[in-house]
Amino acid sequence: MTVTTIPTAGIADTAVSTAKIADNAVTVSKADFNNVNFKNLIINGDMSIAQRGASFSFNDSSGFTVDRFHFERTSGATGDCTITQESDAPNNTGLVKSVKIAVDTAETPTGGGNICFQQKIEGFNCATLEHGQSSPPSATLTFWVKSNKTGTYSVQIKGEGSTGRYVLFDYTISSANTWEKKTITWVGDTSVALDYDSSRRLRVIWHLASGPDDKVSPTSSWATSSLFQVSTNQVNFFDNTSNEIYITGVQLEVGTSASDFEFLPVDVNERRCFRYFQDYASFKLWTTALDGNTSTRLGGSMAYNTRMRATPSVSKTNNTGTVDSETITDRGYSVFGEKSNRGTTTNVTDLEFDAEL
Amino acid sequence: MINTVEKKYNEDSTFNYEVNYQDGTAWTVPHDTANRHYQEILEWVSEGNTITDKGGS
Repeated sequence: MTVTTIPTAGIADTAVSTAKIADNAVTVSKADFNNVNFKNLIINGDMSIAQRGASFSFNDSSGFTVDRFHFERTSGATGDCTITQESDAPNNTGLVKSVKIAVDTAETPTGGGNICFQQKIEGFNCATLEHGQSSPPSATLTFWVKSNKTGTYSVQIKGEGSTGRYVLFDYTISSANTWEKKTITWVGDTSVALDYDSSRRLRVIWHLASGPDDKVSPTSSWATSSLFQVSTNQVNFFDNTSNEIYITGVQLEVGTSASDFEFLPVDVNERRCFRYFQDYASFKLWTTALDGNTSTRLGGSMAYNTRMRATPSVSKTNNTGTVDSETITDRGYSVFGEKSNRGTTTNVTDLEFDAEL
Repeated sequence: MINTVEKKYNEDSTFNYEVNYQDGTAWTVPHDTANRHYQEILEWVSEGNTITDKGGS
Protein backbone atom coordinates (compact mmCIF):
# COMPACT_ATOMS: atom_id res chain seq x y z
CA MET A 1 0.00 0.00 0.00
CA THR A 2 1.26 3.44 -0.86
CA VAL A 3 0.77 6.04 1.81
CA THR A 4 0.29 9.47 0.32
CA THR A 5 -0.77 11.34 3.42
CA ILE A 6 0.42 10.91 6.96
CA PRO A 7 -1.75 12.64 9.52
CA THR A 8 0.22 15.07 11.65
CA ALA A 9 -1.04 13.33 14.74
CA GLY A 10 0.49 10.14 13.44
CA ILE A 11 4.04 11.46 13.60
CA ALA A 12 5.68 10.74 16.90
CA ASP A 13 7.64 13.56 18.51
CA THR A 14 10.93 11.83 17.84
CA ALA A 15 10.10 10.33 14.45
CA VAL A 16 11.74 12.94 12.24
CA SER A 17 15.30 13.18 13.41
CA THR A 18 17.85 15.64 12.08
CA ALA A 19 19.69 12.86 10.27
CA LYS A 20 16.57 12.01 8.25
CA ILE A 21 16.23 15.54 6.88
CA ALA A 22 17.98 16.08 3.58
CA ASP A 23 20.41 19.00 3.47
CA ASN A 24 18.27 20.95 1.05
CA ALA A 25 14.92 20.02 2.54
CA VAL A 26 14.53 22.94 4.91
CA THR A 27 14.14 26.24 3.17
CA VAL A 28 15.04 29.58 4.71
CA SER A 29 11.38 30.40 5.20
CA LYS A 30 11.01 27.31 7.34
CA ALA A 31 14.10 27.84 9.42
CA ASP A 32 13.46 28.75 13.01
CA PHE A 33 16.28 31.16 13.61
CA ASN A 34 16.83 34.86 13.43
CA ASN A 35 17.81 35.10 9.79
CA VAL A 36 17.11 38.79 9.50
CA ASN A 37 19.38 41.20 7.70
CA PHE A 38 20.59 44.06 9.85
CA LYS A 39 19.47 42.21 12.94
CA ASN A 40 22.19 43.92 14.97
CA LEU A 41 20.87 47.12 16.54
CA ILE A 42 24.46 48.05 17.38
CA ILE A 43 26.30 49.85 14.59
CA ASN A 44 30.00 49.11 14.09
CA GLY A 45 29.88 46.34 16.69
CA ASP A 46 33.09 44.88 15.27
CA MET A 47 34.89 48.17 16.04
CA SER A 48 36.27 48.27 12.50
CA ILE A 49 35.24 51.79 11.43
CA ALA A 50 37.27 54.58 13.03
CA GLN A 51 36.82 57.83 11.12
CA ARG A 52 38.05 59.99 14.01
CA GLY A 53 41.31 58.09 14.36
CA ALA A 54 42.60 55.11 16.29
CA SER A 55 43.75 56.69 19.55
CA PHE A 56 41.89 58.96 21.94
CA SER A 57 43.05 60.51 25.20
CA PHE A 58 40.54 61.53 27.81
CA ASN A 59 41.30 63.58 30.89
CA ASP A 60 38.30 64.95 32.72
CA SER A 61 36.42 64.72 29.45
CA SER A 62 34.06 62.57 27.40
CA GLY A 63 33.88 61.90 23.69
CA PHE A 64 33.45 59.57 20.77
CA THR A 65 36.06 56.95 19.91
CA VAL A 66 35.69 54.44 17.09
CA ASP A 67 32.50 55.16 15.20
CA ARG A 68 29.30 55.19 17.26
CA PHE A 69 31.00 54.24 20.54
CA HIS A 70 31.19 56.92 23.21
CA PHE A 71 33.26 57.23 26.36
CA GLU A 72 31.66 59.19 29.18
CA ARG A 73 32.67 60.39 32.60
CA THR A 74 30.44 62.44 34.85
CA SER A 75 31.15 64.89 37.64
CA GLY A 76 32.83 63.00 40.47
CA ALA A 77 35.17 61.12 38.15
CA THR A 78 37.96 62.26 35.85
CA GLY A 79 38.10 59.14 33.66
CA ASP A 80 41.72 59.75 32.71
CA CYS A 81 42.39 57.05 30.13
CA THR A 82 43.53 56.26 26.60
CA ILE A 83 41.20 54.45 24.23
CA THR A 84 42.64 52.81 21.13
CA GLN A 85 41.43 50.72 18.24
CA GLU A 86 43.40 47.48 18.36
CA SER A 87 44.10 44.59 16.00
CA ASP A 88 43.41 42.16 18.80
CA ALA A 89 40.28 40.05 18.64
CA PRO A 90 39.10 36.59 19.70
CA ASN A 91 40.33 33.78 17.44
CA ASN A 92 38.07 31.93 15.04
CA THR A 93 35.30 34.48 15.20
CA GLY A 94 35.96 36.56 12.11
CA LEU A 95 36.45 39.58 14.31
CA VAL A 96 39.62 41.55 13.59
CA LYS A 97 39.44 44.77 15.58
CA SER A 98 38.64 45.70 19.16
CA VAL A 99 38.66 48.73 21.41
CA LYS A 100 41.07 48.91 24.32
CA ILE A 101 40.51 51.19 27.32
CA ALA A 102 43.69 51.71 29.35
CA VAL A 103 43.68 53.60 32.64
CA ASP A 104 46.10 56.54 32.77
CA THR A 105 45.40 57.78 36.29
CA ALA A 106 44.05 55.63 39.10
CA GLU A 107 40.99 56.97 40.86
CA THR A 108 37.96 56.09 42.93
CA PRO A 109 34.91 57.98 41.69
CA THR A 110 32.94 59.86 44.31
CA GLY A 111 29.25 60.75 44.68
CA GLY A 112 27.48 60.31 41.37
CA GLY A 113 30.68 60.01 39.38
CA ASN A 114 30.49 57.42 36.62
CA ILE A 115 32.89 56.18 33.99
CA CYS A 116 31.45 54.12 31.18
CA PHE A 117 31.64 53.06 27.54
CA GLN A 118 28.42 53.06 25.57
CA GLN A 119 26.50 53.13 22.33
CA LYS A 120 23.40 55.29 21.95
CA ILE A 121 20.67 54.03 19.61
CA GLU A 122 18.11 56.21 17.87
CA GLY A 123 14.40 55.53 18.07
CA PHE A 124 14.03 54.55 14.42
CA ASN A 125 16.22 51.52 15.10
CA CYS A 126 14.38 50.44 18.26
CA ALA A 127 10.99 49.61 16.74
CA THR A 128 11.53 45.84 16.72
CA LEU A 129 12.00 45.87 20.49
CA GLU A 130 8.30 46.81 20.77
CA HIS A 131 8.68 48.55 24.10
CA GLY A 132 5.45 49.83 25.55
CA GLN A 133 3.39 47.07 23.93
CA SER A 134 1.63 44.23 25.73
CA SER A 135 4.06 41.49 24.85
CA PRO A 136 7.41 42.77 23.62
CA PRO A 137 9.96 40.18 22.57
CA SER A 138 13.13 39.36 24.41
CA ALA A 139 16.38 40.92 23.36
CA THR A 140 19.87 39.51 23.61
CA LEU A 141 23.16 41.34 23.94
CA THR A 142 26.37 39.57 23.03
CA PHE A 143 29.92 40.88 23.29
CA TRP A 144 33.49 39.71 23.68
CA VAL A 145 35.59 41.13 26.50
CA LYS A 146 39.14 40.71 27.80
CA SER A 147 40.86 42.34 30.76
CA ASN A 148 43.71 41.83 33.18
CA LYS A 149 41.29 42.86 35.93
CA THR A 150 38.96 40.00 36.67
CA GLY A 151 35.75 40.31 38.65
CA THR A 152 32.20 41.48 38.31
CA TYR A 153 31.25 44.24 35.89
CA SER A 154 27.84 45.56 34.93
CA VAL A 155 25.96 46.39 31.76
CA GLN A 156 23.02 48.76 31.85
CA ILE A 157 20.34 48.85 29.16
CA LYS A 158 18.87 52.31 29.44
CA GLY A 159 15.54 53.15 27.83
CA GLU A 160 14.99 56.83 27.18
CA GLY A 161 11.32 57.22 26.40
CA SER A 162 8.95 59.58 28.20
CA THR A 163 10.26 58.05 31.44
CA GLY A 164 13.76 56.73 32.00
CA ARG A 165 13.85 52.95 32.36
CA TYR A 166 16.62 50.41 32.80
CA VAL A 167 17.63 46.84 33.34
CA LEU A 168 21.01 46.11 34.88
CA PHE A 169 23.08 42.95 34.64
CA ASP A 170 26.28 41.65 36.16
CA TYR A 171 28.80 39.77 34.07
CA THR A 172 32.04 38.25 35.24
CA ILE A 173 35.47 38.38 33.69
CA SER A 174 36.77 35.08 34.97
CA SER A 175 40.22 34.64 33.42
CA ALA A 176 42.76 37.42 33.16
CA ASN A 177 43.86 38.46 29.68
CA THR A 178 41.57 35.94 27.99
CA TRP A 179 38.81 36.70 25.51
CA GLU A 180 35.44 35.71 26.95
CA LYS A 181 32.05 35.84 25.23
CA LYS A 182 29.20 37.27 27.29
CA THR A 183 25.51 36.88 26.52
CA ILE A 184 22.70 38.66 28.32
CA THR A 185 18.99 38.26 27.60
CA TRP A 186 16.03 40.21 28.91
CA VAL A 187 12.34 40.71 28.18
CA GLY A 188 11.27 44.02 26.66
CA ASP A 189 9.64 46.78 28.68
CA THR A 190 5.83 46.74 28.61
CA SER A 191 5.45 50.08 30.37
CA VAL A 192 7.27 52.78 28.44
CA ALA A 193 7.47 53.02 24.65
CA LEU A 194 10.57 54.15 22.82
CA ASP A 195 9.49 56.90 20.45
CA TYR A 196 9.93 56.17 16.75
CA ASP A 197 12.13 59.12 15.89
CA SER A 198 15.73 60.14 15.34
CA SER A 199 16.41 60.96 18.98
CA ARG A 200 18.38 58.90 21.46
CA ARG A 201 16.04 56.22 22.80
CA LEU A 202 18.21 53.36 24.04
CA ARG A 203 21.71 53.03 25.40
CA VAL A 204 23.90 50.00 25.96
CA ILE A 205 26.32 50.95 28.72
CA TRP A 206 29.39 49.09 29.92
CA HIS A 207 30.17 50.49 33.35
CA LEU A 208 33.81 50.72 34.36
CA ALA A 209 33.79 52.57 37.67
CA SER A 210 31.26 54.44 39.75
CA GLY A 211 30.83 56.43 42.94
CA PRO A 212 28.39 55.21 45.60
CA ASP A 213 25.38 57.34 44.66
CA ASP A 214 24.25 55.40 41.59
CA LYS A 215 24.93 51.88 42.80
CA VAL A 216 21.91 49.59 42.94
CA SER A 217 21.16 45.90 42.80
CA PRO A 218 21.16 44.37 39.34
CA THR A 219 17.69 43.73 37.95
CA SER A 220 16.29 41.96 34.91
CA SER A 221 12.93 43.65 35.48
CA TRP A 222 12.60 47.11 34.02
CA ALA A 223 12.91 49.77 36.71
CA THR A 224 12.47 53.52 36.59
CA SER A 225 15.43 55.90 36.59
CA SER A 226 16.89 58.36 34.13
CA LEU A 227 20.34 58.08 35.71
CA PHE A 228 23.30 55.84 35.20
CA GLN A 229 22.69 52.83 37.40
CA VAL A 230 25.61 50.64 38.33
CA SER A 231 25.64 47.30 40.07
CA THR A 232 26.74 47.22 43.71
CA ASN A 233 28.95 44.33 42.60
CA GLN A 234 30.81 46.41 40.00
CA VAL A 235 34.61 46.41 40.30
CA ASN A 236 36.53 49.67 40.13
CA PHE A 237 38.30 49.18 36.81
CA PHE A 238 40.05 52.53 37.35
CA ASP A 239 41.86 51.47 40.54
CA ASN A 240 45.20 50.83 38.85
CA THR A 241 47.07 52.30 35.89
CA SER A 242 47.96 48.80 34.71
CA ASN A 243 44.30 48.03 34.03
CA GLU A 244 43.07 47.62 30.49
CA ILE A 245 39.94 46.17 28.98
CA TYR A 246 39.15 45.13 25.41
CA ILE A 247 35.66 44.95 23.91
CA THR A 248 34.46 43.82 20.49
CA GLY A 249 31.83 41.76 18.68
CA VAL A 250 28.94 43.68 20.17
CA GLN A 251 25.52 42.57 18.97
CA LEU A 252 22.07 43.48 20.23
CA GLU A 253 19.29 41.52 18.58
CA VAL A 254 15.68 40.55 19.09
CA GLY A 255 15.33 37.01 20.42
CA THR A 256 15.99 34.81 23.39
CA SER A 257 19.37 33.57 22.26
CA ALA A 258 22.51 34.87 20.62
CA SER A 259 23.06 34.22 16.96
CA ASP A 260 26.35 34.53 15.09
CA PHE A 261 27.75 38.03 14.79
CA GLU A 262 26.40 39.77 11.72
CA PHE A 263 29.31 40.89 9.57
CA LEU A 264 28.48 43.63 7.10
CA PRO A 265 30.49 44.54 4.01
CA VAL A 266 32.84 47.38 4.90
CA ASP A 267 31.05 49.84 2.60
CA VAL A 268 27.72 49.07 4.24
CA ASN A 269 29.15 49.29 7.74
CA GLU A 270 30.82 52.59 6.92
CA ARG A 271 27.71 54.05 5.34
CA ARG A 272 25.70 53.23 8.46
CA CYS A 273 28.26 55.20 10.46
CA PHE A 274 28.00 58.12 8.01
CA ARG A 275 24.48 58.81 9.29
CA TYR A 276 26.11 60.06 12.49
CA PHE A 277 29.57 61.28 11.54
CA GLN A 278 31.43 62.02 8.32
CA ASP A 279 35.07 62.90 7.99
CA TYR A 280 36.48 64.58 4.87
CA ALA A 281 40.12 64.89 5.91
CA SER A 282 42.30 66.68 3.33
CA PHE A 283 39.29 67.42 1.15
CA LYS A 284 39.30 71.09 0.12
CA LEU A 285 36.12 72.99 -0.50
CA TRP A 286 37.04 76.08 -2.54
CA THR A 287 35.23 79.35 -2.92
CA THR A 288 36.39 82.27 -5.04
CA ALA A 289 35.53 85.94 -4.84
CA LEU A 290 35.65 87.24 -8.41
CA ASP A 291 37.88 90.21 -9.03
CA GLY A 292 36.04 93.42 -9.91
CA ASN A 293 32.56 92.30 -8.94
CA THR A 294 31.65 91.82 -5.35
CA SER A 295 28.16 90.60 -6.12
CA THR A 296 29.00 87.58 -8.24
CA ARG A 297 31.12 85.52 -5.96
CA LEU A 298 31.46 81.79 -6.25
CA GLY A 299 30.63 79.60 -3.36
CA GLY A 300 31.44 76.00 -2.57
CA SER A 301 28.94 73.32 -1.77
CA MET A 302 28.90 69.60 -1.23
CA ALA A 303 26.40 66.84 -0.65
CA TYR A 304 27.19 64.30 2.05
CA ASN A 305 27.85 60.63 1.37
CA THR A 306 24.54 59.86 2.98
CA ARG A 307 21.82 61.87 4.64
CA MET A 308 22.69 62.51 8.26
CA ARG A 309 20.52 61.83 11.29
CA ALA A 310 20.06 65.54 12.01
CA THR A 311 21.61 68.83 10.97
CA PRO A 312 25.25 68.27 11.86
CA SER A 313 27.82 70.45 13.51
CA VAL A 314 30.79 71.32 11.33
CA SER A 315 34.45 71.32 12.22
CA LYS A 316 36.84 72.71 9.64
CA THR A 317 40.12 74.43 8.96
CA ASN A 318 39.82 77.74 7.14
CA ASN A 319 43.06 77.93 5.19
CA THR A 320 42.78 81.22 3.30
CA GLY A 321 40.36 84.08 3.01
CA THR A 322 37.36 84.58 5.26
CA VAL A 323 34.25 82.48 5.56
CA ASP A 324 31.23 84.73 5.40
CA SER A 325 28.25 82.40 5.43
CA GLU A 326 27.64 78.70 5.98
CA THR A 327 24.49 76.78 5.27
CA ILE A 328 24.26 73.44 7.01
CA THR A 329 21.53 70.88 6.43
CA ASP A 330 21.23 67.14 7.00
CA ARG A 331 21.92 66.59 3.28
CA GLY A 332 24.74 68.97 2.46
CA TYR A 333 26.89 71.97 3.27
CA SER A 334 27.70 75.23 1.50
CA VAL A 335 30.12 78.01 2.30
CA PHE A 336 30.67 81.50 0.89
CA GLY A 337 33.75 83.69 1.00
CA GLU A 338 33.97 87.18 2.44
CA LYS A 339 32.80 89.71 -0.11
CA SER A 340 35.56 92.27 0.59
CA ASN A 341 38.29 89.86 -0.42
CA ARG A 342 37.95 90.36 -4.16
CA GLY A 343 40.32 88.37 -6.28
CA THR A 344 41.16 85.98 -3.50
CA THR A 345 40.16 82.46 -2.88
CA THR A 346 38.94 80.79 0.24
CA ASN A 347 39.07 77.15 1.07
CA VAL A 348 38.01 75.14 4.01
CA THR A 349 39.47 71.71 4.58
CA ASP A 350 39.51 68.84 7.06
CA LEU A 351 35.76 69.01 7.23
CA GLU A 352 33.99 66.91 9.82
CA PHE A 353 30.23 66.66 10.18
CA ASP A 354 28.81 65.45 13.48
CA ALA A 355 25.18 64.38 13.95
CA GLU A 356 25.85 61.95 16.77
CA LEU A 357 23.35 61.19 19.47
CA MET B 1 33.25 71.48 28.12
CA ILE B 2 32.25 74.68 26.37
CA ASN B 3 34.49 77.71 26.66
CA THR B 4 32.75 80.30 24.48
CA VAL B 5 29.77 80.53 22.13
CA GLU B 6 29.24 83.25 19.52
CA LYS B 7 26.19 83.65 17.31
CA LYS B 8 27.33 84.03 13.67
CA TYR B 9 24.90 85.45 11.11
CA ASN B 10 24.81 84.44 7.46
CA GLU B 11 23.97 86.80 4.61
CA ASP B 12 20.47 85.38 4.40
CA SER B 13 19.84 86.21 8.09
CA THR B 14 20.06 82.61 9.17
CA PHE B 15 22.67 81.92 11.78
CA ASN B 16 24.86 79.29 13.39
CA TYR B 17 26.87 79.21 16.59
CA GLU B 18 30.65 79.15 16.76
CA VAL B 19 31.47 77.01 19.77
CA ASN B 20 34.93 76.74 21.29
CA TYR B 21 35.57 73.89 23.68
CA GLN B 22 38.11 73.80 26.48
CA ASP B 23 39.96 70.96 24.74
CA GLY B 24 40.75 73.34 21.87
CA THR B 25 38.22 72.01 19.39
CA ALA B 26 35.79 74.34 17.61
CA TRP B 27 32.48 73.55 15.93
CA THR B 28 30.00 75.49 13.84
CA VAL B 29 26.69 74.43 15.33
CA PRO B 30 23.26 74.77 13.71
CA HIS B 31 20.20 76.04 15.57
CA ASP B 32 18.68 72.57 15.79
CA THR B 33 17.43 70.93 18.95
CA ALA B 34 18.33 67.49 17.54
CA ASN B 35 22.00 68.47 17.35
CA ARG B 36 23.99 67.31 20.37
CA HIS B 37 26.26 70.35 20.37
CA TYR B 38 23.24 72.66 20.32
CA GLN B 39 21.85 70.68 23.27
CA GLU B 40 25.15 71.36 25.05
CA ILE B 41 24.79 75.07 24.29
CA LEU B 42 21.33 75.10 25.86
CA GLU B 43 22.70 73.38 28.95
CA TRP B 44 25.65 75.79 29.07
CA VAL B 45 23.27 78.76 28.92
CA SER B 46 21.06 77.25 31.62
CA GLU B 47 24.13 77.24 33.86
CA GLY B 48 24.28 81.01 33.59
CA ASN B 49 26.60 81.49 30.64
CA THR B 50 25.93 83.97 27.82
CA ILE B 51 26.12 83.63 24.05
CA THR B 52 28.08 86.47 22.41
CA ASP B 53 25.90 88.21 19.84
CA LYS B 54 27.52 90.96 17.79
CA GLY B 55 24.60 91.15 15.36
CA GLY B 56 24.52 90.62 11.62
CA SER B 57 26.37 92.71 9.04
